[in-house]
Amino acid sequence: MQTEPESEEQAAPETSWFERPENQFKMIVDLAVACVLLLLADFFYENPHPHFAIETTFGFQAWFGFVAFVGVVFLGRLLRLIVRREEDYYDR
Amino acid sequence: MIGDFLLPPGWIMIVGVLLLPLFNRRGAGQAVAVLVLSVLSLVAFLLTPSGDYGQLEVFGATLNVVRIDSLSRIFGVVFHLAAILSAVYALHVRDVRQHAAGVVYAGAAIGACCVGDLMSLFVYWELTALSSVFLVWASDSERSYRSGMRYLIIQVGSGVLLLAGAIIRYVETDSLAFERFTPAGGTISLGALLILLAFGIKCAFPLLHNWLQDSYPEATVTGTVFLSAFTTKLAVYSLARGFPGTEALIWIGCAMTLFPIIYAVIENDLRRVLAYSLNNQLGFMVVGVGIGTELAINGTVAHAFCHIIYKALLFMTMGAVLYRVGTVKATELGGLHKSMPWTTGFCLIGAGAISGFPLLSGFISKSMILSAAGEEHRLVVWLILLVASAGVMEHSGIKIPFFAFFAHDSGKRPREAPLHMLIAMGAAAFLCVALGVGYPLLYRWLPFPVDYHPYTVTHVVTQLQLLLFAALAFVVLMKTHLYPAEQRSTNLDSDWVYRRALPTLAHGGGIVVKSVVGTCRHAMMVILVRVLSVAGSLFNERGLLGRTWSTGVMTFWAGVLLAICLVLYYL
Repeated sequence: MQTEPESEEQAAPETSWFERPENQFKMIVDLAVACVLLLLADFFYENPHPHFAIETTFGFQAWFGFVAFVGVVFLGRLLRLIVRREEDYYDR
Repeated sequence: MIGDFLLPPGWIMIVGVLLLPLFNRRGAGQAVAVLVLSVLSLVAFLLTPSGDYGQLEVFGATLNVVRIDSLSRIFGVVFHLAAILSAVYALHVRDVRQHAAGVVYAGAAIGACCVGDLMSLFVYWELTALSSVFLVWASDSERSYRSGMRYLIIQVGSGVLLLAGAIIRYVETDSLAFERFTPAGGTISLGALLILLAFGIKCAFPLLHNWLQDSYPEATVTGTVFLSAFTTKLAVYSLARGFPGTEALIWIGCAMTLFPIIYAVIENDLRRVLAYSLNNQLGFMVVGVGIGTELAINGTVAHAFCHIIYKALLFMTMGAVLYRVGTVKATELGGLHKSMPWTTGFCLIGAGAISGFPLLSGFISKSMILSAAGEEHRLVVWLILLVASAGVMEHSGIKIPFFAFFAHDSGKRPREAPLHMLIAMGAAAFLCVALGVGYPLLYRWLPFPVDYHPYTVTHVVTQLQLLLFAALAFVVLMKTHLYPAEQRSTNLDSDWVYRRALPTLAHGGGIVVKSVVGTCRHAMMVILVRVLSVAGSLFNERGLLGRTWSTGVMTFWAGVLLAICLVLYYL
């Protein structure tokens, strides 16, 4: 489909550290562990200057970050339904 | 004229461009000259003490050609840094147009942030537009030519609005001084409104924004790095000087942080994703200007400073990919980390910095704006900025590095970026870390005294929660195949109005006008023919009015007329 540019040196798609399934699994587990630890960290400190009541609730920015991310992605999917056109739309 | 120094800030670069033709255009001389000019200009700028220079009386108005204060100083410094980084990055370019355009553009932006009156600002304002468009045109394609034309029309239009606003303001206040235009709690005058609109266009306010996403991705590999630094941040500087504490800017800024992140999710061209991301980052700064407290303005300025560096870094990494692979479409990339490990690493640092990971530059500046919103107890604004922060993590923190360098292997094995590009990227990456760790150095330069500590336990933990849970959401969406796949597409944005709707309307309007005119003409002809035929039938030799009457008939009618007159006389 895509012609290969001249600058390519070796064509063999060897797998790198990041592409091995066991390493990917390990990275995901590490991320999950880090998330759990960050949630637990909420028990060990107190926000000295909260500006809003919601700030001091348990794990607020954690679930908010998760929900916001998912929300943005789904809004993107929705937007694509409305605004997506062919790549050469303006060139025709 | 100018007082105790030779040239106003930026002029070493603007005038120095005349030296470029002296160098062989096939050699590296021109590129090196641009770099040397940028460094010389920075040294001269740092040696120039703050103050007002060069008052001029022109037609009774006082112009203040050079004003350097704490606000212009920090923008001047970061503009110089951006110019130097871009110049190093562009050392391989053998195109005098790009060198000349880049150096004049940077010089004009530096000059613009060191003026004290609106007329001088207008001159620099237009100079940035006129010089920067050549960085788009230098791509030498039909697409870039058209895009550059749209860019130029909009940018020059912004300048015209600025000029109109300045003139009206001169009539209103008898002063051309570039100062705060909105007295606290006061209403905004017509002149100030036009000036705000001019700034708003350059700052890519919602619905005025699309020149940015339209043109930046069409510029050359190195041109986009130049472009990303100056125009929009000059607008942020101008807003911070002219309109601090303007309530409307808070909501404009909020809208700016939100809608580009949604577009960024579905955009395939990674440089265009960065353009949307740039728009989103400007939103944070506009919110800061709108809040207008000392902490908020400090946050805005600090964020502009950090943003220029990490955004240039991200555009440099994508430029390196474009330079080596020939495309930055996410659908055609992937797996590049194997052959471009350094570029990948620098991209990750830039992505971390823009996302606001602790120890990187975005963390110490963006958190100031969020804290400023908190201190004013603006919950909605604060929540919107949090959503926007998660959105930044999505498009710049994950999407850019993931789809370019990881994801599925495209099979492409381009060579690592050239050495000078790596040096420029490395220097920018170093600055991202240095600003994140050595933040007090930056805080010292801010316009107001700073009593702010970014590295509190609360800040670090909550920010990491936000970012890592956002990353977790990405993993979940990828594993469940809910994350939208990259697709080749054009996504309609507000430029559709002037690229499609208005031309179509104009075309349709033309047809309507034509048919109305045609119908009217036809009707007129029909009426004319009727009138002529009636006249003809009346006035021919047999017609009522045209035929010959006998004397008796004439006498009879004269008698009747006289009788009627007689009757009327007696009534």
